Amino acid sequence: MTEQRYLLTARSIVKSFGPTSVLKGFDLSIAAGEVHAFLGGNGAGKSTLIKIISGQFERDGGTLEFDGAALGASVGGHVAAGTIAVVNQELALLPHLSVAENIAMPRLRRGTARYSERASMDIAIEALSLIDPHFARESAGRLVGDLTLHERQLVEIARALGSGAKLLLLDEPTANLTAAETTRLFAVIRRLIADTGLAVLFVSHRMREIRQIADVCTIIRDGKTAVDRAALDAITDREIVECMGQSVVVDEAAASVAESAEWGRADLATQHGGSDGAGAQATHVTHRGALRIERDGVTIEVPAGAIVGLAGAPVGPSSLIDALTGIAPAGAWAITRDGARASYSHPCTGARDGVGFVSGDRSNKGILATLPIVDNLVAAARVVNRRNVVGRAEIEQSTQLLEALKIRAGSLWDLPATLSGGTQQKLLIARWLLLRPKLLVLEEPTRGVDIRTKREIYALIRKMAQQGTTIVWWSTEYIELVELCDTVLAFDLDGKPTEVLRHADVNETQLAAATGMAA
Amino acid sequence: MKSVTHSMPEGHVRRSGAGRRLLSAYRTEIAIALAIIVIELAVGMIVPAALSGGNISNVTQAAAPLVIMAFGVLLVIITGGIDLSVGSVFSLTGMVTGLAMAHGYGGIASSMAGLSVGILIGALNGALVTFVGLAPFVVTLSTYAIAGSLSFIVTDGHSLPISNPDYWLLNSGTLIPGLPNYALWCVLLLVAIEFSLRKVVAGRWLYAIGSSSSSARVIGIPVNRVRLAAYLLSGLFASFASIVSVSYISNAEATAGSSLMLQAIAAVVIGGASLFGGTGSAIGALLGALMITIIQNGANLIGVNSFWQGTVTGVVILIAVLVDRVTKARR
Repeated sequence: MTEQRYLLTARSIVKSFGPTSVLKGFDLSIAAGEVHAFLGGNGAGKSTLIKIISGQFERDGGTLEFDGAALGASVGGHVAAGTIAVVNQELALLPHLSVAENIAMPRLRRGTARYSERASMDIAIEALSLIDPHFARESAGRLVGDLTLHERQLVEIARALGSGAKLLLLDEPTANLTAAETTRLFAVIRRLIADTGLAVLFVSHRMREIRQIADVCTIIRDGKTAVDRAALDAITDREIVECMGQSVVVDEAAASVAESAEWGRADLATQHGGSDGAGAQATHVTHRGALRIERDGVTIEVPAGAIVGLAGAPVGPSSLIDALTGIAPAGAWAITRDGARASYSHPCTGARDGVGFVSGDRSNKGILATLPIVDNLVAAARVVNRRNVVGRAEIEQSTQLLEALKIRAGSLWDLPATLSGGTQQKLLIARWLLLRPKLLVLEEPTRGVDIRTKREIYALIRKMAQQGTTIVWWSTEYIELVELCDTVLAFDLDGKPTEVLRHADVNETQLAAATGMAA
Repeated sequence: MKSVTHSMPEGHVRRSGAGRRLLSAYRTEIAIALAIIVIELAVGMIVPAALSGGNISNVTQAAAPLVIMAFGVLLVIITGGIDLSVGSVFSLTGMVTGLAMAHGYGGIASSMAGLSVGILIGALNGALVTFVGLAPFVVTLSTYAIAGSLSFIVTDGHSLPISNPDYWLLNSGTLIPGLPNYALWCVLLLVAIEFSLRKVVAGRWLYAIGSSSSSARVIGIPVNRVRLAAYLLSGLFASFASIVSVSYISNAEATAGSSLMLQAIAAVVIGGASLFGGTGSAIGALLGALMITIIQNGANLIGVNSFWQGTVTGVVILIAVLVDRVTKARR
């Protein structure tokens, strides 16, 4: 009785991918009835460990004990048996099947059993109602393939919550949720813990959320346990950040960004020097344009180099983003740059006219998963410059870019999957750094990114803006918009633009009032 | 009280929603059925004999093996795989069955020998795809080549006579008056497969795997076993199709199945399945197979040069897929 009995005990877990060693003897213990925050920087090994516990990856070494029994190295069995449920960062949904079937599917364990659409419907509505009863009724019969990313996240979470598992592994479940949904999710988790005594392993980069929901935390650093089961009441934010190994990175990040910007300018000079005369001069000429956006009587007009924030429920910002980039017809939006119409029939036309875009759907609309890192870096440049062959110049540029941005990669020819999620995000922004676009549209660029990488991204965005790139940035973290934006365009819950907030007015309460969503 | 007033309209909405879902779920199939009728009537206007009872029963008899084979291929295609070996399995099954008969075995024993060809090759395909992790296209292309050449080797290229009175059971005999047995098998398989695909968990697993095999794995679906079963059944059905076919042709030839593989895949695709997996139905596959057979039969009756028949079939496949695409996009 001296030693507390844990629901899950992981000891000395070791895992590497090829030459890259991710987990180097990691320990973790989770007790029943607790919310256990699992913290660490990007690439520290959080997702890998979650996949090992849930049996998606085989571990190279170490032991796992769950509910008093050892888990074999190649498992998946406990997910199949419904005792462990997992929400990965990459959602595990079946796009061709209905929401109802997606939620009911993990409970159907015998292949010879009857399948009933009606029963699935009931299971799904019950599970979804935990988070949002309205969404439950409205969506249960729809195909998952027709849902937005945000709706898919709700489905995935509902499936885990409703599964009756003893252990929930939630890898950044709140990344795509609104503040209200996050609040409800936390309420459900607390209720389930009170009712069934389940345990939750919770990964998030939002300190406020962690403090709201979690009891204890384990911090992972470089694949090893830096802090083992610290009570959250007894540890400060500052200590957490220090243990994650990210305390003194701000200046360093800023420095690296400055370097990369220097280099980017030099590159542009060499690229366009021939046609535009002196490169330095050409860059000044290209960034004159003021951006003007109008819809339903709401107008926003900013000079080149401004940072414009978009705030509100996803539907509004995404319609503007689609219009700005040429993903969808401009519709009700009137967009001009320098007085000339700036809406496009295709993202390719937009890109060639100087509009860069980093999608929030990193795995489907950002990373080219089967192509090496170098191709990912130069993908946009190739479209804009109409080049199709990997030249030596591209390889040199990419090498410098990786160094400047401190992206740790084994080789340019590795696949992006060898990089952590946050590093992949940096890579996607770096893709546009090469081109110095007139307008860069960013969809939640810091989602699922650790504090250090976040700061790097902020600095990067500021630097690009200083050099004349206008930034349009959608974020669900209002604090980011408050800190970085000159102007914020707020949308209501139906997607209509409501208000333009100038820098002096932008604070979290204002934004919450203007968008109908609590921060 | 509140819950009562609430549940009434909600239940109503759900029921009418289910009806509409069923209608929209079978939209492709209904369209193909209509197209088949239109094509048959059009052929009948040019050659009235096309609509005679004799010709229609000829068409169904000729279509039966293709239908059965398409059912097997359908299961694999739903999982997002492909089975190119079915044509060769069809040929080799005929040869093995004929060879067994030539050695004095009875109809049932010989047919079992024939069916074992499909089971073995199907199991081999499935094992290589699932446990070794090879691409379905490559695996089944190889077994297609191997089984195809084996069907020549077993008799040195000679065809074999098949004559066995027991075969009334498989072919034009009637267990149910008015319904020849070959049609009966098609109907029984249709009902069994359509039911399994819609109302049995294992059937839903096929769609789940085709929709996203990595997600299916995370959810805990036994992906490997289900895929193995799909390939095994595909081989088995190809063999069964062959035995149904040789029972009325009374002759086994090494080239018997060579044109069937593409036709079976085409039938499944015409029937609304996507080669990327996750969609498809047994009714669709049956109708697709019927359509292909009817077009060939019509072209023969009208006297279209046989060289042109491939072009006609190809154009029809394209039209079917394009119509399906356009209507789905509009939805």
